[in-house]
Amino acid sequence: MIEIKLVVNDKPYTLEVEPSERLIDALRNRLGLLGTKEGCGEGECGACTVIMDGKTVNSCLVLAAQANGSVITSIEGVGNRRSPHPVQKAFVEVGAVQCGFCTPGMVLSAKNLLDKNSKPSNEEIGIAMSGNLCRCTGYDKILRAVKIAAEEGKE
Amino acid sequence: MKKRGIGLGCSWYGTGYGNGFPDVSSAFVEIHDDGSATVLTGAVDVGQGSNSIFAQIAAEELGLESKDICVYSGDTDATPDSGTTAATRQTYNTGNAVLKAVRQAKSSLLDYAAHEFSCPTSEGIELKEGYIGVKGDPSRCMPLADMVFQARLKGERFISAESSTARSTPVDPETGQGAPYWPYAFGCQMAEVEVNTETGMVRVLKVVAVHDVGKALNPTQVEGQIAGGVTQGIGFALLEELELKEGKINNPALSSYLIPTALDVPSIEALFVEDAECTGPFGAKGLGEPAMLPTVAAIINAIDDAVGVRITSLPATPEKILQGLAEKKEG
Ligand code: FES
Ligand code: FES
Repeated sequence: MIEIKLVVNDKPYTLEVEPSERLIDALRNRLGLLGTKEGCGEGECGACTVIMDGKTVNSCLVLAAQANGSVITSIEGVGNRRSPHPVQKAFVEVGAVQCGFCTPGMVLSAKNLLDKNSKPSNEEIGIAMSGNLCRCTGYDKILRAVKIAAEEGKE
Repeated sequence: MKKRGIGLGCSWYGTGYGNGFPDVSSAFVEIHDDGSATVLTGAVDVGQGSNSIFAQIAAEELGLESKDICVYSGDTDATPDSGTTAATRQTYNTGNAVLKAVRQAKSSLLDYAAHEFSCPTSEGIELKEGYIGVKGDPSRCMPLADMVFQARLKGERFISAESSTARSTPVDPETGQGAPYWPYAFGCQMAEVEVNTETGMVRVLKVVAVHDVGKALNPTQVEGQIAGGVTQGIGFALLEELELKEGKINNPALSSYLIPTALDVPSIEALFVEDAECTGPFGAKGLGEPAMLPTVAAIINAIDDAVGVRITSLPATPEKILQGLAEKKEG
């Protein structure tokens, strides 16, 4: 076992993890943060996206030990029913959620984009969201929601 | 060189299991003394939004708002079977079962209310905006919750169980005659593509999709299903190929079986035709699968229009297009 220290959603944790344990397992199984989804488990779908030190990563491809010393935001740290993040609000408003399995990863990719670039072009939005696959929505409403969230942020 | 083309695809699609297979949905309904109602049905909402549709159907019939309806679904311990979420059947089939069940519970409520209001017939009673009363007589009217509460004290409950079976007869294998499906869904889409004649790559620039949905009970969901269907259709036309080798799938991963990403989707304009289906709940019929059907034909025709290459096997990969262009050159 390896001891790691990390900050998840503003809370510091010290965890004992297996050498081969993935970050997604540590988040889901050790911290009970089940909002992070595992789709493919091989870095293709983006369902497991979290923000690590200001960058989106596929948490299925990061070893928990590699996350030692890092600051992580998972979907649980983004907003909640009472005070949703502008991206979450826009998703609900336009109906960008169908089965919802891709949604946590989508919201984190969108949030990270808007944190860095408050006025993204359509192309920049497309590129930022292209690592997150969705089989239900056809992306149409998702891209629209990100645009709305960006516009709201500007005001 | 980049060449553009436009193509059209049309579809008709029989919804439901079809061919005489028993296609049954069912629902339990109770109208409560707090002015809400519960719908129990086995139909599973996999994200397409059937629970919202059932809540809307019940609310519309009871003069309530959808938030007043609790839909409890897809629990084999507690809900009556409503078949699979497949065959584009939940809005139509289970929607019909829910509507029948709501109407049954409502009819005993109306009978009770007619008696309470000294109205000769339940035809004279209406449910509106959370109130129940005699049509055209505002003095004889009370909150629905109060009426159900009073009824409850007298031992009356408004509970129902109903099922709905879709019309379908098997097709005669000899003559090909029969009425295997009801209803049919119709759709038509146009795609504009850009084909790169050097690389064989196809970009879909725009898709306009028009679908006959009978009645769009929830327009946001209709748009969502159309965009989702069109995007799967784009994958079907250009990317997705299941490679089998001796019965084994060669590409069982998203790295080798490609599906469209946010960068592959064009602007999708969804339009719907509302030609009420008289056997459907409030005129509605299904849209799930039909939304992806015309996309493939529209894209393949658009490729033909752009570069004169007829693709006859899916997906239309760059290799096939380059081969088609080479064959054309050789004449
Ligand atoms: S689960 Fe990590 S990318 Fe798919
Ligand atoms: S909503 Fe189902 S995968 Fe995106």
